[in-house]
Amino acid sequence: MSVITYLKRELLDRSTLLFIALALAAGTALWFQKGDEAFVIAASSSGMLVLLIAPIILIAMIISCYVRELIPTAVIQRWLGSESGLRGLAVAVLGGAVTPGGPFAAFPLVVGFYRSGASFEICVAYLTSWAVLGLNRVLIWELPFLGFDFVLLRLLISLPLPVIAWMLAKLLTRRRNA
Amino acid sequence: MLSAYITLIVILVFLVLVAQRKPEVSHKEILSQAVDNTLPLLIRIPAAILAGSFLAELIPKDYIVALLGDASGVTGIILASLLGGALPGGPMIAFPLLLAMFKAGMGTPQLIALLTGWLLLAFHRIFAYELPMLGTEFVRLRLIVCLPLPLIAGFSAQALGQWL
Repeated sequence: MSVITYLKRELLDRSTLLFIALALAAGTALWFQKGDEAFVIAASSSGMLVLLIAPIILIAMIISCYVRELIPTAVIQRWLGSESGLRGLAVAVLGGAVTPGGPFAAFPLVVGFYRSGASFEICVAYLTSWAVLGLNRVLIWELPFLGFDFVLLRLLISLPLPVIAWMLAKLLTRRRNA
Repeated sequence: MLSAYITLIVILVFLVLVAQRKPEVSHKEILSQAVDNTLPLLIRIPAAILAGSFLAELIPKDYIVALLGDASGVTGIILASLLGGALPGGPMIAFPLLLAMFKAGMGTPQLIALLTGWLLLAFHRIFAYELPMLGTEFVRLRLIVCLPLPLIAGFSAQALGQWL
């Protein structure tokens, strides 16, 4: 397989092409509208971020592969499958809230569990909890930027959201399977 | 970021030690599988981050604040929930943007709806991670489930605000 076919088949899917096009278009627009300096600042801060998160992506992927290899499907189905009930929900919500490190860490983990037998509603509960209750993001970003009062109100309101998502997801999949 | 590194490395070391006791698990195979899975991300994610930081600079902040002020009420909450999905980039880009809008006079319920919309529906996260890793069907169903959540958050914030 030549390098170009490999690039095409394995590395450049539709999402990637979309982002390359978007980056080119937005970059050009920014450069025209605000000049060299704004463009360079935005580009170099992105470069720094990429260097910081690239190793995390690889580590999360390795974890995901080990999880798939080590934990028997039966165990995952019992704890996180469609029959896991409230216990599964509790595990997913707690796990989501404590998972550190952004989408580049959380999504590979979900892929690992989903392929080894975790149910759709559990994955949705986990992702919702990770999104709206994720402690890592709250402590590092939200508290310093938006302040204690705002964060407290938002967390209070967001506590039921993963449970609502879990119930809606259960309803949706049950209707489809029936 | 440091906390993420430490936590993930601790988990990884634990898993490697467990795998070491099982002769049927090959570290080499797992590593090459993980590298194969990571390579496409190493192109997609930089492109997504670059697009996000360029787009963030282009957002008309004042216009959004005028649209979603304290007086914008229910319409403001609905608009904010949808706009949240269109906010580009990760926390490094989104939170400074949100702070600027908060200071410029955006309503609290609207800001909560915007933030929740961004957390759950952000297009860049869906296209950069979720679609390629979990597939169209999963994403479609998850979006149906999560679409009402920013609205619920915004409306409860408004109700709670009146009650407090």
